[in-house]
Amino acid sequence: MTNEQIFVGLEIGTTKISVIVAEARDDDQISILGVGETPSRGVRKGEIIDMETVTECVREAILDAEDKTNVEIGNVWVAITGSHLASFNNRGSFVLPEERQIESEDLQAVEVNAKEVAIPTPNTFLHTILQAYHVDGNQNVIDPLKSEGALLEADFHIVHGIKTRIRNTLRCIESLKIDIEDVVLSSLASAQVVLSQDQKNYGALMIDIGGGTTDYLVYFDGAIRHSGVLALGGDHITNDISVGLRLPIARAELLKIEEGSAANPAGSEGGTISLKNDPRFLGCDVDRTALNTIIHLRMKEIFELIHRDIESSGEGMLGLIRGVMITGGCSKLKGIAQVAEEVFDIPVELTRARNVSGATQIFEDPQYSTAIGLTKYARVVTKNFAPETVFGRITHGLGSLFKKRSR
Amino acid sequence: MNTSPSRRIIVGVGNAGVTVLDQLSVELPGMAGLLAVNTDPDSLNASIVREKILVPEGDLGDGFRAIDEQFSHAVEGSSSIILCGGLGGDSGSFLLPALAIHAKAAGITTMACVGTPFSFEGKHKRETAERALEKLQGICDAVVVIGNDQLSGSSPSTAAVGEAFVLSDRALLSSVMALTGMLSTSGPVKITRADIHNVLGKPGSLTHFGFGKAEGSNRLHEALERALKSPLLALPGKGSALKQSPMILLLLRGAMDISFAEMQSAVGKIEQIAGESCQIKVGVHADGPLGSALEIHILASSGGIARKPVKAIESSPTIEPTGSITPITKQPQRQPKSEVLEEIPSANDGDGKGGDEFVPVSKNPASKSGKKPVAASKQLQGTLALDTYQRGRFDKSEPTIVEGEDLDVPTFLRKGIKLNPPSRK
Repeated sequence: MTNEQIFVGLEIGTTKISVIVAEARDDDQISILGVGETPSRGVRKGEIIDMETVTECVREAILDAEDKTNVEIGNVWVAITGSHLASFNNRGSFVLPEERQIESEDLQAVEVNAKEVAIPTPNTFLHTILQAYHVDGNQNVIDPLKSEGALLEADFHIVHGIKTRIRNTLRCIESLKIDIEDVVLSSLASAQVVLSQDQKNYGALMIDIGGGTTDYLVYFDGAIRHSGVLALGGDHITNDISVGLRLPIARAELLKIEEGSAANPAGSEGGTISLKNDPRFLGCDVDRTALNTIIHLRMKEIFELIHRDIESSGEGMLGLIRGVMITGGCSKLKGIAQVAEEVFDIPVELTRARNVSGATQIFEDPQYSTAIGLTKYARVVTKNFAPETVFGRITHGLGSLFKKRSR
Repeated sequence: MNTSPSRRIIVGVGNAGVTVLDQLSVELPGMAGLLAVNTDPDSLNASIVREKILVPEGDLGDGFRAIDEQFSHAVEGSSSIILCGGLGGDSGSFLLPALAIHAKAAGITTMACVGTPFSFEGKHKRETAERALEKLQGICDAVVVIGNDQLSGSSPSTAAVGEAFVLSDRALLSSVMALTGMLSTSGPVKITRADIHNVLGKPGSLTHFGFGKAEGSNRLHEALERALKSPLLALPGKGSALKQSPMILLLLRGAMDISFAEMQSAVGKIEQIAGESCQIKVGVHADGPLGSALEIHILASSGGIARKPVKAIESSPTIEPTGSITPITKQPQRQPKSEVLEEIPSANDGDGKGGDEFVPVSKNPASKSGKKPVAASKQLQGTLALDTYQRGRFDKSEPTIVEGEDLDVPTFLRKGIKLNPPSRK
């Protein structure tokens, strides 16, 4: 094992592969030492479609990070996303053999019970995240250890996904002789640095819009209540522009970044944008309203899908969300907060990693939220098994298994 | 009525069967030849099906004798019957075989689409269902068996119990639609009853079927993708059920411009999955108006003990010895107008099924195959690429389908919003 105080987060994104090297500080914060990064090839909609190319890209990103930080990377924490990931809430219960103090084994037993549900056969559990304990009908017990009871129940948020697809991600990294500490749902990682404890308590929706996927997570009462992945992202906007305005993809991407706005184009000034000639492209004039209409419709649809999904996943859940936090590379798109506000009708904030120190220009960029979040997650999970934090109780399904195997 | 050569009747038996008929009449308004049979007067009263037979309560044997004549009258003159319902309950398990015997004795080709109970419904139901199924498979020319447990494997365990039953009703419904679709007499390439019997007439087998529908220039790719992803085709953890099937029925329905290349590509894809040793019977019913959606139905069975070794044509007394393929370039002979139930109209061509509006099919396949080179599936992608601009760079990727919509297609296109085109210099 290398220095235990160093954590490396690896995100294989659709647009880029980023490696964040961070150091744990004494005050529970993390300090970023540096970032390694390569443009991503062979990834579509957050999932690997070309193993060899991706492995090569990961190698480059890791080497880049090692160069910049002077840290030898031996093990990483990996973020995972993709539309195959699904989640639900379930309650586990465990009847104690006699009335006595609750032991930690009992807590494990209740978790095992919660996982005794049929998920589709090709799937495996990724996370079983505790929401609350109940002892003998006493709701929301913070820490049931040592308290006396006969019936222990617990609510969990369970995330599962297709085994083979999760394994493919891991295989890419293992073939580089790098150990995997754990795999973490992307949105769960981002939320560690994007949401404050207050927001988690009061109720917040975090949306991480990347190139290929949009990951979202609902928190209230300090626990995760819902999570989801949509295989839609910035790439779709680029594609829409390319199709709608008959532009090459690269040109459409540039136009989206430089001129595009997701805000409702009704009532805006309009006009045209003149695209210059270049060796591979004959210039043209693009109608600004057309461009912004394309972007607006797509973004609005993405938010509406999330809205509907949350609405249907729990009665009254929408009402408990006090704010929407948007992060991810695509959150840099102009006007995106306005669209989100239109759809959710609650305050929307564009956000990025917070409560971290180190190279400022890195954590100020929302596209690194997930990778930075991984190191924070790692920090909390490894340091802290004490039950005073939510993470201490986050338990591992798949990750620990892979750790053993890869050694 | 006796003169009509291909009158087909769909009989919904028991609560599940009646529900399916109701959905069928909603889905395909104007469909005739539906008959609801049930012991539950409430279910019958609530049903929108016109012809209903109430089986008196009490002993089912007596009850059946009481409706015997009524049923005979209702099915008189029909050439085929599709019984549908759920097995395991009392009325379904008794009435389905009883009606089948009756229909068969009258010399009518008899087929059944039945659902077997979920395992959570208990052992008793399962055993009743097994006995009834055995009887049915002994009597009927073809039986489509929908294993409800197989369906539940594809939905999360937290799905409401109600949802599970809705899912099973939907599966039953689409199996009935697939079967009637396959039996429909329009061409240009027909599936015969012999084919259906070959695939579905084996005792002890489970039926797998898939349904996919798509429109637009990439319709084949999308519809096939959806059909192959249907819960009864995609076995959890085992890949496609087609791998285990000795014989597969494939039906393409839709606009009259279904091209030769599309048909070939569909067969190629299925062959790829099922392996070359598998026999594929193809039907093409190209009678919808231009631009209507392409529907793909796939029917296959697995696990059955073959009654006889699989032969190309296996004939049973009631089966018409029609050849399975009529010449593509010839316009198929229309059936006399008196038939009660022609083909099922596609959901979006409610008015376009009159015989007069029928545009000769002959032109299209011929001109298509003249225009496009007869392409293997690889080349086909090349020729289609020009038309598939809709999905852009996501053309060849796994579609992102949420709430039944392909979200890879730009939002503004799906919403039909017109944009100012860029002006080229």
